[in-house]
Amino acid sequence: MLELKGFACGYGLVQVVEELDLTVPSGRITALLGPNGAGKTSTLMAIAGHVEVQGGQVLFEGEDITRLAPAERTRRGIALAPEGRRIFPDLTVAENLLVGGYTQTAVAARETEARVMALFPRLQERYRQRAGTLSGGEQQMLALGRALMARPKLLLVDELSLGLMPAMVELCFRALVELKVQGLAVLLVEQNTHRALAAADRVAVLVSGRKVYEATGEQARRDPEMVDSFLGLKEMA
Amino acid sequence: MYYVELLLVGLVWGCTYAMMALGLTLVYGLLRILHVAQATVFTLGAYVGLLVANHTGSLAAAFVAAGLAAGALGPLIYRLVYQPILDKPPFVALVASIGVLIAMEDGFRLVFGPYGLSFAKNTWFTTSLRFGGLSLNLVQIWIAIAAVVLLLLFALFATRTRAGVAWRATVSDPAIAESFGVSVSGVRHLSFFIASVLAGVAGVLVGLLNNLVEPGMGSVISYKGLAIIVLGGLGNVPGTLLASVLLGVVESFGTVYLDKVMDRDAIAFMFLIVVLMIRPQGLLGKAH
Ligand SMILES: Nc1ncnc2c1ncn2[C@@H]1O[C@H](COP(=O)(O)OP(=O)(O)O)[C@@H](O)[C@H]1O
Ligand SMILES: [Mg+2]
Repeated sequence: MLELKGFACGYGLVQVVEELDLTVPSGRITALLGPNGAGKTSTLMAIAGHVEVQGGQVLFEGEDITRLAPAERTRRGIALAPEGRRIFPDLTVAENLLVGGYTQTAVAARETEARVMALFPRLQERYRQRAGTLSGGEQQMLALGRALMARPKLLLVDELSLGLMPAMVELCFRALVELKVQGLAVLLVEQNTHRALAAADRVAVLVSGRKVYEATGEQARRDPEMVDSFLGLKEMA
Repeated sequence: MYYVELLLVGLVWGCTYAMMALGLTLVYGLLRILHVAQATVFTLGAYVGLLVANHTGSLAAAFVAAGLAAGALGPLIYRLVYQPILDKPPFVALVASIGVLIAMEDGFRLVFGPYGLSFAKNTWFTTSLRFGGLSLNLVQIWIAIAAVVLLLLFALFATRTRAGVAWRATVSDPAIAESFGVSVSGVRHLSFFIASVLAGVAGVLVGLLNNLVEPGMGSVISYKGLAIIVLGGLGNVPGTLLASVLLGVVESFGTVYLDKVMDRDAIAFMFLIVVLMIRPQGLLGKAH
C-alpha cells in the first residue's frame, strides 16, 4: 500500500530522518516507535505532505506521491490523525466531521458518517457539542473520525494514547484493530510502547532519524527487551 | 425619552461600526493582516451608491451596485496587494494597506473632486418616524435593518453552509483544513468579498446618514474599526460585534457629556485605552 524507499525528510537545512525504508501493508497495523525527537512525527507529516521530503521516494499504491500537495494525497486515500489531535475546537463534532469528508459527495459523506458513529458511539452523543469541550479521549475519537470521513485506504495516527485515560486508550486501540480488520492500512506512531506492541502486526523502531529495528509484531512481542533497549527504556528503569 | 433616543442613535452608529469591523476581524482572523484599506472599499461603496441613487432614483439599486462594486474591489486588493507579500512580516502588509488607502483616497479626489457629493432628491433624511415620543429618521432605521439582516445572513452562512463551516475550520487550522480538501485561497477570497460587501453597504448608509460622500470619509471609521477589533479580542467575531455596539453607545452619550473635553472620534480611542487597561485581551478575548 505505502512504501518509503531511501526516504529522508526534514526542515530546510536540517535533515531529521534519513535512509528510511518502510512498507505499510493493507489490513495491518504498522507501529513506528522510538524515543522523543527520533523523527516519527516528521515522517508521518512528510507522508501526509506537510513536511518536506528531502530524499528518496514515497510510493502509494505503486504511484510516486513524493511531490503531491496534502489535499491530493487525501483524495488518493491517505488521511491523518495528527499529533496533538488538532481538531477544530470552535466547530461542533458534526462540523469537524463535515470538514473531514469535504472531498466526498453528500451521499458518501452521510454513509461514512454512519460508520464513524457505529465505531465511536460517543461522538453521536456529542454530535452538536463544540469539539473544544470534549474530553481528551473524545477528541482523539473525533480526530480519528474526521480522518475516516475522507474514506482513506491508509490511516496515519500520531500518538494515539498520549494524555488519555486508560479506558479511552483501550477504546481507541480497539477501533484501530477493527479498522485494520476491515482492510485499512494503519501506520501508528506511539510512545505507549507496550500497548502499541500488543496491537501491532509490524514494528519499526526509529532512533535519531534512523531505523534501528524492524520485525513482525509477533517477533517483537517475544522480544520486548530488545525493543525497550532501542527505546532507551531499559536504562531509565 | 432623551436617554432612550441617545441610546438608539448609539445603536445605529454601532451597527455601522459592526458592518465595518466584522470584515476587519474576518481578515485579521484569517491572515493576521490589519486591513486598513477596507476604508477605501467603504468609500467606493458610498460613491457608487450615490451615483446610482442620483441617476436612477432607486436606493435599492444603489445598495446592490455598491455591494457589488465593493465586493469586487476587496478580493482584488487581496489578489494584487496582499497575496504576493503573505510570507513577509505582518507590518509589510500593513504598510501596503495604508499605501492603498492613501492612493485610492487621492484617486477619488481626482475623479470626483475634493469637496464631496450629496444625494439628490432623497426623502429619507427628511422622513422621520415617531413612536411613543421617540423620533428616528428613516436612514437610521434602514441602517439598523440592513446591519441586522446582513449580520444574520453572515451568521447563517458561517454555521449552516458547507462553505461557512470550511471557512471557520480554515481560520482555526489552515493546514489541516486544506489537507481535507478545503481551498484556502478560495476561503480568503470569499472573506474579502464578504468583508467588502458589508463595508460597501455601510459606506452608502453612512453617506446617507451625513448626506455627504467625500474622498476621506473611510479613514476615521476604518481606524475606529481597528480599535474595535482590538477591543473585541482580535479575530473574535462576537466580541467585535459587542465592541461595535458598545462604542456606538459610548460615543452617543459621550458627545453629550464629554463634548467640552474631547470630540467624538477621540472618545473611541479613550474607550479603547480604558478597556485595554482593564482587560488587555479585549472584551471577549481569551486570556493567556
Ligand atoms: N518545525 C520544525 N522545524 C525544525 N525542526 C523540527 C520541527 N519539528 C521537529 N523538528 C525537529 O525534528 C526532530 C524530530 O522531531 P519529531 O519528528 O517531532 O520527533 P518525534 O515525533 O519522534 O518525537 C527533532 O529534533 C525536532 O527538534
Ligand atoms: Mg512526535
